[in-house]
Amino acid sequence: MYGGGNVFETMKATALADEDPILLAAFEARIDRGEKIEPTDWMPQLYRKQLIRMIEQHAHSEIIGSLPEGTWITRAPGFKRKLALMAKVQDEVGHAQLLYSAAETLGKPREEMITDLINGKSKYSNIFNYPAFTWADSCFISWLVDAGAIVNQIANSKGSYGPYCRALERICAEESFHLKYGHHCVIHLATGTKTQREMMQAAVNRWWAPMMHFFGPSDKISVHSEILMKWKVKMASNDECRQQFLDMYVPKIWELGLTVPDENLKKNTVTGEWEFTEPDWEEFKRVINGDGPCNAERIAVRRTAEERGRWVREALLAPKAKYVAPLA
Amino acid sequence: MNTEALKDLLYKMADDQLILGHRNSEWTGFGPLLEEDIAFSSMAQDKVGQSWQIYKLLNELGESDPDTVAFMRNAEQFHNCQLVELPNGEYDFSLIRHFLFDTAEMIRFNHLATSSYAPLALLAKKIKGEIKYHTMHANIWVKQLGSATEESIIRLQTSLDSAMPYALGIFESSKFEKELISEGIFRGEETVKSEWLTQVKSILEHTKLTMPNIETITPVFGGRYGKHTAHLQPLLDEMSEVFKEDPTADW
Amino acid sequence: MILKSLDPRVTRLSIELSPDESSVAKDGLDQFETYEAFVQSKEGKPFEHAGPVHAPNEEMAFLFAKEQYSRRGMFCNAICVIKTENIKVSEYTDNGQDIYNLVTDHPSGNENESFEIFHLMKRGKQHKHEGSVLAKDFDDAMAMAKKEFQSDKPVFNVWIVKSAHIMASEDEDKDIWDTLKEKQYREATDYKAADKIKAFKENQA
Ligand SMILES: [Fe+2]
Ligand SMILES: [Fe+2]
Repeated sequence: MYGGGNVFETMKATALADEDPILLAAFEARIDRGEKIEPTDWMPQLYRKQLIRMIEQHAHSEIIGSLPEGTWITRAPGFKRKLALMAKVQDEVGHAQLLYSAAETLGKPREEMITDLINGKSKYSNIFNYPAFTWADSCFISWLVDAGAIVNQIANSKGSYGPYCRALERICAEESFHLKYGHHCVIHLATGTKTQREMMQAAVNRWWAPMMHFFGPSDKISVHSEILMKWKVKMASNDECRQQFLDMYVPKIWELGLTVPDENLKKNTVTGEWEFTEPDWEEFKRVINGDGPCNAERIAVRRTAEERGRWVREALLAPKAKYVAPLA
Repeated sequence: MNTEALKDLLYKMADDQLILGHRNSEWTGFGPLLEEDIAFSSMAQDKVGQSWQIYKLLNELGESDPDTVAFMRNAEQFHNCQLVELPNGEYDFSLIRHFLFDTAEMIRFNHLATSSYAPLALLAKKIKGEIKYHTMHANIWVKQLGSATEESIIRLQTSLDSAMPYALGIFESSKFEKELISEGIFRGEETVKSEWLTQVKSILEHTKLTMPNIETITPVFGGRYGKHTAHLQPLLDEMSEVFKEDPTADW
Repeated sequence: MILKSLDPRVTRLSIELSPDESSVAKDGLDQFETYEAFVQSKEGKPFEHAGPVHAPNEEMAFLFAKEQYSRRGMFCNAICVIKTENIKVSEYTDNGQDIYNLVTDHPSGNENESFEIFHLMKRGKQHKHEGSVLAKDFDDAMAMAKKEFQSDKPVFNVWIVKSAHIMASEDEDKDIWDTLKEKQYREATDYKAADKIKAFKENQA
């Protein structure tokens, strides 16, 4: 899983002035031809910096994202759900591993990224700062948060950086299991007993606002970056992703007799666009800056895992071990 | 075939696997290293998956369906050894338990591959590969941490010492040892135990760890007869929290 | 204050929540080496690069690679791991340029050591094992590889590694990828519920 709404740095117009124009032209020509950039290729500093930031945030989102669903890992009802949730959460940890590796090829070691995460220096998808109160919350996440992530990840998998594309290809293959599993769970609750239905509806009500925040602020108010689009770092705008998500999943939610807590939500038959109540972007900012219901817990858990694992890593570290960044 | 004896055997094995798989799944997301987090989760899944298959065999023998059996019984109805229900502790304890238990598991299923009860023999063959990976994993970890730093050696030794009385409880004999052996269903706990001792010692020899003196240890028995530590019932309550909201519902 | 979580597992971790937590400074002490893992999907198919693992040594790298890159066992016949620093990476070419056209050396004829050759046939795809050559050193292996493996299809990048530096799964351990067919719970195909939706809609109507 993963949230959109990457936090890109605002860029200075001068950022490209220092780059060698010949190398830059060759780099851009390669991207225009549809060829991927590989780790040892020359690349503009700005490209490297923004990619590290984006892939690192994505990786953090996977590892932190394993926590809200992990809340229910010991309580999944029945063998099939128990095994599937274990495998699903495991996959998310695996996604983090793959993405950290992709970011490492750009020159930032994994331990440095993890250190930045637990020191609160890095961002990750906002949605994972919300609590999973019931089993139905975990089902909502498995289905719809992952669905949102897939919209993002499929767009990004067509980007220009080879290692990121390779990681995303692997990830997307696994996401299809997550999506089907999540949908299966929600279908069972929504078409089940009265208690199950109510549980599911309550989860939809709780998670809808964070879900709308998931794709990041509206294009009207977010940092625009033509150069990142041109370099195929950012592949789709926040609004495009949100529209695509609504188009694919709102009908599927409705067909289960569930309602969405936004009375303005509807598809405009003339424009083909979904209309909705403007999400509360102040709340989004507040949470992403640390003041959400679970920010402190999420970071504390990662920090604890890191600290309690230290003796293991220190014991195994060969004295002459030399870290080399992954190749591809 | 002595069905009572067979069921007793199947229950204790399935309960062991379910409870340990459940415990090990608690590590998912909190492991000491991302890669190990993933590996440990796979093995937890294998255990739960194996228990599910054994409960299915029980179901064919007339017991309730696997979900009901796993999620609706109380602690005193479980036949797992107490080793598997103990809390995870730190990674050293979880690892030592994994090593001690899976070594026994490998030997047990090697024997069961020739069981006169064909469905069990078939299952034993099917899961041979999974268990092989588990012992490979356990042996490599114990060998490496068991001869690394002072801290890792002390941690593993402490965990080994505290786990050993419980590990011996794996081999608590059942009421049916004689029947199981004479009918060729299972070669019996004593046989597994003696092979296990040899195997555990042979791995520990590659480390700076000391095998506790088995002669002076009183094994912790009782689990096979429904006697458990205070940790099992809360574990079961947690595991079945959602399921029990409506056991007749389709989740 | 001990963290009380909705996740009972987290509560059991007994995490002390202190308001003024100082930053964790790392001196890079626990940064392991990296290994590249390669997967063979079927008997007879070439090994293909899957991705890296962090591990303290080869044995552990193997344990980790097995679960990270082949836990869906049915797609795997064998894996191997290679310490990243033991892989020699050629330059990358693009736009239809064959990397072998940049190689001007001739093979020395010295067959001292065996090397494995991996090709990248398309940027953004995985390196695949092409074959092995006998040569004196890495440069010589590249020259040999050109002689043996250059074709009309351009190769954009080559990885070369000494055969002795590869740790592969043993033939006798192939069964570690035999999984219960019941592991289908990991596959999307195992989750069909169209009937339930249909029945629900009919009930509503
Ligand atoms: Fe994911
Ligand atoms: Fe996912």
